[in-house]
Amino acid sequence: MTGKQKKAFWNAVQTGLIVMATLIMLVPIAWIFMAAFKSHVDVYQLKLFFRPTLENFALVFREPYNLGEKLWNSTLVALATVVIAIPIATMAAYSFSRFRLRGETVMLVTILATQFVPAVVIILPFFVMFRDVGLLDTRLGLILVNLAIVMPFAIWMIKGFIDGIPLDTEEAAMVDGSSRLQVIRNIVLPMAAPGLLTAGIFCFILAWNEFLFALILTSKDAVTLPIGLALFKAEEGDLWNLLSAAGIIIMLPMFILALMIRKFFVQGMTMGAVR
Amino acid sequence: MAEVVLKNLTKRWGGFVGVDNQSLHIADKEFLVLLGPSGCGKTTTMRMIAGLEEPSSGEIWIGERMVNDDLPKDRDVAMVFQNYGLYPHMSVFDNIAYPLKVRGTPKADIAPRVRAAAEKVELTHLLDRRPKALSGGQRQRVALARAIVRTPQVFLMDEPLSNLDAKLRVSMRAELKHLSRELQITTIYVTHDQIEAMTLADRVAVMNHGVIQQLGTPDEIYNDPANLFVAGFIGSPAMNLIDGSIREGHFVTTGGTRLTAVRAADRARVVLGVRADDLRVSEPGEGDIDVPIYAFENTGEATLLTVQWGQQRVIARGDRHLRKEQNDIVGLSLNPDHLYLFDPDTGRRLTA
Repeated sequence: MTGKQKKAFWNAVQTGLIVMATLIMLVPIAWIFMAAFKSHVDVYQLKLFFRPTLENFALVFREPYNLGEKLWNSTLVALATVVIAIPIATMAAYSFSRFRLRGETVMLVTILATQFVPAVVIILPFFVMFRDVGLLDTRLGLILVNLAIVMPFAIWMIKGFIDGIPLDTEEAAMVDGSSRLQVIRNIVLPMAAPGLLTAGIFCFILAWNEFLFALILTSKDAVTLPIGLALFKAEEGDLWNLLSAAGIIIMLPMFILALMIRKFFVQGMTMGAVR
Repeated sequence: MAEVVLKNLTKRWGGFVGVDNQSLHIADKEFLVLLGPSGCGKTTTMRMIAGLEEPSSGEIWIGERMVNDDLPKDRDVAMVFQNYGLYPHMSVFDNIAYPLKVRGTPKADIAPRVRAAAEKVELTHLLDRRPKALSGGQRQRVALARAIVRTPQVFLMDEPLSNLDAKLRVSMRAELKHLSRELQITTIYVTHDQIEAMTLADRVAVMNHGVIQQLGTPDEIYNDPANLFVAGFIGSPAMNLIDGSIREGHFVTTGGTRLTAVRAADRARVVLGVRADDLRVSEPGEGDIDVPIYAFENTGEATLLTVQWGQQRVIARGDRHLRKEQNDIVGLSLNPDHLYLFDPDTGRRLTA
């Protein structure tokens, strides 16, 4: 083989591998996607051609499933989590990044260490505590739990981005006449924006997909989408067509979000990585 | 416009002393250069004046005010950073306008002042760009424009030219000098580059180990060094420092060569300092001493002769048309008007 042929050969191998990896990853999603448009009878057959129906999407919003309610809960809980977490995490991250604090390393590691504890271990204390203060099966309770989950990640991620902002820039702004708060508002926040966005989306995804705590701590009023999926059971077994339709509804916002902020997301990821 | 006074300024980090009990009086409209090797405390001194570093003790006065407890924003200084410290998310215009905006200058005043500042540093055609789209020299100009857009009491410049390539550095140096003469604002300039110090300064403060070694005009620093450190630090090539003693009124090298050009009171150990320019190269037998050439270098504008003088190597500057080979013997004579004697123990200059 000449050099040129060799190169072409390896290119083909690479492309082949990538296509294969992509297929392996996409097959389950493709299956769900098709199942969501199949009628109850077609679901158990691997038919590629069938009469698509939108009925599943209508069914999941009706009694007894009421997916709309759960969608509302999920949206509210995830949004509130992000809206509360990001400002607080930003303030914490800025302090960790820019000030020399007593016991800084210990605090940072402790914050992360909370995530080393398996959720199953702490879920019972949470249950008891929430029962006593009346937070069981409330959205507020879920928001608090989600905050506890996402904050460590948010702080660490945002700290990485703020670390990446040259100190010179902040000092220049201070000498130019800014107070510390003006520095943060005019310089740090705009420069860290891709990072804040990345962290925000990351937190949203965590909160949106959170299953275990929502399963134990909610029962009726505050049930979220992932728990709602468990409802699609009948005497004849799992209702795969409805499950799939609901699955698409869960995935869709993530998908749209990801598309919208793809540019920032990559920028955010690499900015964190370069540092 | 104001004078800057430092009174017994000290900065300690734990046991490490960055700046050691320094006092300095910088006159109104003066261009003062803090010169020294890295880690000598020059940048720390400047950062304390800017308010970016808190002094461990001592006082900083700008004009009539002691500013020790003032925030950087309240000190009315402008600073140019080594890495420029530009705001990457703002256009050049907004970068320059920032000090005005944040200090609440009326909107109508901002644009003309930004334009005037940009004009002074020849940036007017780049006002819409982001810093990322600029070259190093252009970024430097933005940083300068941002400093001069207000009329601060004091300019602080922290190695502003050190990130530029050699050619650009020379032209920016001239522009800086021109600008500073035009603006007539007290300026404190930190550098480790002696050429910048010599060319820009009204006065130079040579620093080492957190202490000002000598404070004087570039002339004084160069021609009248106060100690061994200043003598060795200023000048390129560095001043030749030759060990020896004074016997019977004349300098004798450790190798035993007697130099009648040097007269002083007898002393067991001294260091003789002589610059490469103050050594005249001649044919063998015509100078004070005859020495073999260790290396001969032609820089184009001059020739540099490193000669082996006993145990020591000494550099002399020769005419640019001079041509010699390694191991050739040449004569060297010392210019008796520009010889310096130092105490090798204290480093202090000995006056005859």
